[in-house]
Amino acid sequence: MNDDTDLGAPEAEPLWESTVNGRPVRLRVPQAKRLLDIVREDLGLTGTKRSCEIGRCGACMVLLDGAPVNACLTMAYQCAGRDVVTIEGIAGEEELHPVQRAFLEEGGYQCGYCTPGMIVSVKALLDAIPDPSPEEAEEALSGNLCRCTGYGGILRSVLRAIEKGRGGS
Amino acid sequence: MRLNRENSGARWRMRPDGPDKVTGSLAYLTDLTAPGMLHGLVLRSPHPHARIAAVRTDAARRLPGVAAVLTGRDVPGLNRFGIARQDQPVFCEDRVRYVGDAVAAVAADSLESARRALELIEVEYEPLPLLDDPEQALRPEAPPLHPEGNVLHAKTYRTGDAGPVFASCAHIVEETYRTPRQMHAYMETEGGLFVPGPEGGLTVYAPTQHGRMDRLQLSRILAMPEERIRVVSSPIGGSFGGKDELNVQPYGALLALASGRPVRIHNSRRESVRAGLKRHPMIIRMKTGTDANGRILAHRVSIVADTGPYASLGAEVLNFATEHAVSAYRFGCVDAESVSVFTNNGMSGEFRGFGGNQAVFALEGQMDRLADALGMDPWEFRRLNLKTADEPGPFGQPIARTDGAAKAWAALAGSRLWRERSAVRTPQAEVPLASSSAAADARDAGTALRRRIAADSAAPVSAGGEADPPWRKIGIGAAMVMHGAGLGFGIPDPSGGRLALRQDGKIEAAFGFEECGQGLIATLEQMMIERFGFAADDIRIVIGDSDAVPDSGSSTASRATSMMWRALGLLERPFTEKLLEAAAKACGRPSRLLGLGEGGIRDLETGERIVAYEALAGRQKEPIVCEAATRYPAADTDIVGAHFLYSYAAVAAKVEIDGLTGRVRVLEQFHAVAAGPVMNPQGYLGQIEGGSAMALGYALLEEAAMRRGQYVTNNFDTYLIPTIADAGGPVEVAAIEDLPEGDEHGPRGVGEIGSVGLAAAIASAVRHAAGAWIDRLPIDPALLQEARPFEKAAVIGDE
Ligand code: FES
Ligand code: FES
Repeated sequence: MNDDTDLGAPEAEPLWESTVNGRPVRLRVPQAKRLLDIVREDLGLTGTKRSCEIGRCGACMVLLDGAPVNACLTMAYQCAGRDVVTIEGIAGEEELHPVQRAFLEEGGYQCGYCTPGMIVSVKALLDAIPDPSPEEAEEALSGNLCRCTGYGGILRSVLRAIEKGRGGS
Repeated sequence: MRLNRENSGARWRMRPDGPDKVTGSLAYLTDLTAPGMLHGLVLRSPHPHARIAAVRTDAARRLPGVAAVLTGRDVPGLNRFGIARQDQPVFCEDRVRYVGDAVAAVAADSLESARRALELIEVEYEPLPLLDDPEQALRPEAPPLHPEGNVLHAKTYRTGDAGPVFASCAHIVEETYRTPRQMHAYMETEGGLFVPGPEGGLTVYAPTQHGRMDRLQLSRILAMPEERIRVVSSPIGGSFGGKDELNVQPYGALLALASGRPVRIHNSRRESVRAGLKRHPMIIRMKTGTDANGRILAHRVSIVADTGPYASLGAEVLNFATEHAVSAYRFGCVDAESVSVFTNNGMSGEFRGFGGNQAVFALEGQMDRLADALGMDPWEFRRLNLKTADEPGPFGQPIARTDGAAKAWAALAGSRLWRERSAVRTPQAEVPLASSSAAADARDAGTALRRRIAADSAAPVSAGGEADPPWRKIGIGAAMVMHGAGLGFGIPDPSGGRLALRQDGKIEAAFGFEECGQGLIATLEQMMIERFGFAADDIRIVIGDSDAVPDSGSSTASRATSMMWRALGLLERPFTEKLLEAAAKACGRPSRLLGLGEGGIRDLETGERIVAYEALAGRQKEPIVCEAATRYPAADTDIVGAHFLYSYAAVAAKVEIDGLTGRVRVLEQFHAVAAGPVMNPQGYLGQIEGGSAMALGYALLEEAAMRRGQYVTNNFDTYLIPTIADAGGPVEVAAIEDLPEGDEHGPRGVGEIGSVGLAAAIASAVRHAAGAWIDRLPIDPALLQEARPFEKAAVIGDE
């Protein structure tokens, strides 16, 4: 949590209760506060990025009950009582998630600004479809813009993550 | 060498900055906060051109929570900035010249209060006539936007009088090419944290490609000695040239000093679009003629570049575009005249490729058209006119000798994709209709996905096959690229670096470069490992902090890798000797029997470790430090901007056109890049792939459209950059590493070259597929839509 935490929020604000990265969170925030601002400002989880704020780039992608959503379009009341996972909650206690390892090995990132959102989307994709067709992968990831890589490294990372999922290298 | 992970073996390394990037724990400078921090916002002009009659800030100042409201009166130093020429106002005082022009700035204890304060600032504008067309702005009757008029810069390069030469040409092609205003679209918008120091100093945490240049510029604006300003400038969430110039730094710095509190600014995307730089839109006219055998005799070029309201690097970009409108070809006679023009459109400036993208699109268009006129193979036509290794550069200047052009040419000529070209014919209308040929359903272990991204396993897509509907057309095209690196003749281009053995035993490599995402830290680490034999763990890389690094110059112009290589080359002997001498003293053996290695100094013969770096450091009273100063090599010429080192690329693209929608899809790409030895395979591949995706967007999607001086594409809903579905085809990159014997310049940078050639190759492929000549980017699908059968019938019926 950073110093920006809304500790002084007036009592009048409703209590927002959710699970974020496996931990229960209780905050007083306006109903219409964006999930993006809750995680970045109130919880200090800055791995979730802000880029377009209109649901077009995927830099702010988080999992809501396991499904990828744009945190910039999700308001507090829409995710109250639900399970939120941000990039900070993707890795296991000891080890990185296989998708994260795949990105490291294949170099599926450059500046890294799209990477948290991209990894969240890839994880959601492979959780739902462990061996996606090109069309399924493109469909699932076309909401995540990357300006640096041209997506080659990202596709190779997805491929490697698929192989890892099958017990490959 | 085909560049990929498999072929790179152990040289394919995990980036040191990777783990923090994939876990989201990397703190970008726009993620930083500070206790007691204020939020800064900038008030920008709603008018593209207006006189400011009055600015009233009283109401904003009185708003609770507002700590500072600043206008031009509050700038203690120079109320102007610009890397090359300081003509852009920090705050406009009497006149605004574009919709990004700043008039005031506020800092408040919440973003909400800052927003309200902005609304309370009253500015009286008197709109002035709008100049939104560069050709109009050149007319004598156009009102001048600056006292010197509307010409920022003019460049002429003429080897003779082309007029009479054209009279003797057998074939002449004349065309006007237009290129769009492209947005960098870095995912991290501009911003940062500005922290006033206890004794009047300032620390700036804001992304930029050259921290020390920002420091210099801020020192002018703040009237504060450079030593009191610290600029922390990496990591960066993408830049591509767009963050080299100052953006929010002046406002953050002024607000922090005025309020005495840390100030955070982070642009919204809308504001980033409105205020930020774009690639120069250019109108390029070319007239090129050959003899009957295809030898080019004359080449006339005229370029009009829309540079927007202020200089930034508009003059330098124009010089570059002019140089690359000539590029690697032998023209009997060149007559080039270019001009960069002030308008009330958005700011243009530095952008990956630096004017080469526009010029090469036009030049390669000429090459294809001439080959067509001659009935020659377009690639063969290029070979006929390419200069050899011993010929001078585009401006007739002496350049470092390489065979890059010929080798890149030959690599493309021999590529599978290019050979496939002769087999591709546009489909006949009679071909029967069938269902899609996509081999989508191979559902094991990502086979289909692998096929989609790997060129060697790509299913050959031959048009005219049974599976192809008649409106689907396939074409393959190619383009040659020559790309200069470094700032060019006449612009100081110093660099340097420092190596040290620090107290904690780390070998510290310090350079004034920035990590924009390109993998500079990884490349430097790899160079240190491969040159000195250190382990990754032995090394600490220090960059992006003006207090901690020597002057290396800007991370721009594809120069950083070259300059690190050169500086390390200069440092290798002295630093090694110093370390070995210290070790010799420590262990009592002669230094000639010792060598550097992983973890410490080793016995050269047995390889046994004699003394660990940490132990060695512990014995020194002073750290062992070596510093090298160098500069980017420049041509021996008097032509400003002429380069000395060039890299070359040959690019082929295969496209599919849907004749119903006019949509172009890039199916496959081949890039042969001749840029000297590959320092970091993953980084090199990433630069070519990433750059080419940018060129794909340039060719097919991207245009920061303006109407009457206002942006009409304000975010990613209307400004479209390639998605994974647009850019997902196989991209093969072949790195041509050889340099002539005795070459002393080592690796040429590849930061830009990948972004240059693909647009021209796509245009060429579109011509091959559909017969349409492309003279304007992005390619308009309407041009490629075929009339539907019933429309054809209707037309016939009308006649
Ligand atoms: S910031 Fe949410 S989609 Fe772009
Ligand atoms: S790595 Fe920079 S935007 Fe994807």
